[in-house]
Amino acid sequence: MELSSLNGRIIGVISDDFKEYDYQDKLVKDLITKKVDASFKMVKLDNSVLNEKFSDLPLGDKNKVILANQLHNQEIILVNFSKGLIKKDLDYFKSLFKKIANYGKKIILVEKRMDLFLNCVDRIYVINEDEIKYETIDIFDKTLGLYADYPKIVEFYFKGIDLGVRLDQYTELDELLKAIYRIKS
Amino acid sequence: MKIKEEYNYVILSNEINRLLLAKFSEYPMIDSDMNYNELKMKLEFHTSKIVVFNNTFYNLRDEEQKEILDLLKRQNMHFILITSNIEEALLGDYIIVFDKKGIFLEGLKNEVLKEEKKLKKVGFGLPFVVDLSIQLNYYDIFKKVYFDMNELVSDLWN
Repeated sequence: MELSSLNGRIIGVISDDFKEYDYQDKLVKDLITKKVDASFKMVKLDNSVLNEKFSDLPLGDKNKVILANQLHNQEIILVNFSKGLIKKDLDYFKSLFKKIANYGKKIILVEKRMDLFLNCVDRIYVINEDEIKYETIDIFDKTLGLYADYPKIVEFYFKGIDLGVRLDQYTELDELLKAIYRIKS
Repeated sequence: MKIKEEYNYVILSNEINRLLLAKFSEYPMIDSDMNYNELKMKLEFHTSKIVVFNNTFYNLRDEEQKEILDLLKRQNMHFILITSNIEEALLGDYIIVFDKKGIFLEGLKNEVLKEEKKLKKVGFGLPFVVDLSIQLNYYDIFKKVYFDMNELVSDLWN
């Protein structure tokens, strides 16, 4: 399956088909050769990792190196990027992806979970065994739940529906809280 | 690192590297590249009392995570789950939070997850259900913190 043929600017893909990048014992400085300082600053990496082996890096830093390595490409493909990253970093990268996409680049996020997709991607595909099984622009799409777990705020919405409570589809906690407060008061 | 056999541990860190993993090297470790069936099979034939999961639950759906925890319980096994995903903190009894300098915070789940400011300051945030219920406490809608989404939803809407 050629991921570059998918439509969208920031694309979420739910799939088991794609392998994570593994540069094994290569040194980071041999992987990032273009505009090192700017790339590292953008992905929040310290220059001290340049002399380290890729295999020795913490999981989150591995993903940052993989992103830095692709930053100057027209198309960026990241597999299981959210693995090893904490919430603060995920929020940062969501906004970075939007900035990068504004320069006309395509970003494809292949994930097993949908947390990274929330407030980030403009289209979601499900790909299994080299075939597109499903596609949607809506993270609240009921069918998506067959393929992966929803982000918790979306799960909360569906659990309310099961009890007959129809809230708007909020993707931010602050807005959700205000809506609950309005109902409860 | 001293581990009590009666607890299931969640180790939260944003730098899961060899140094951190070495602290648990006396126990068998399962990495993150297994799917549900492979993991289940491996655990069914496991003989040790404690197993270390290194980001292992990333590949599993929530239901599958529950199945694995039930399997461990049936086999009288305990786990040490190393992760950077704060949602997985709900799966353990005892939480240890590492930052770059070492242990930043530790304690029983219900104590650690109430440390809203500290956990947000170091970037982990809170599990959604805990965050929502703490905020609803501020709004005077609840008077307790929830660790289970079904319980929260039921108390909120029924």
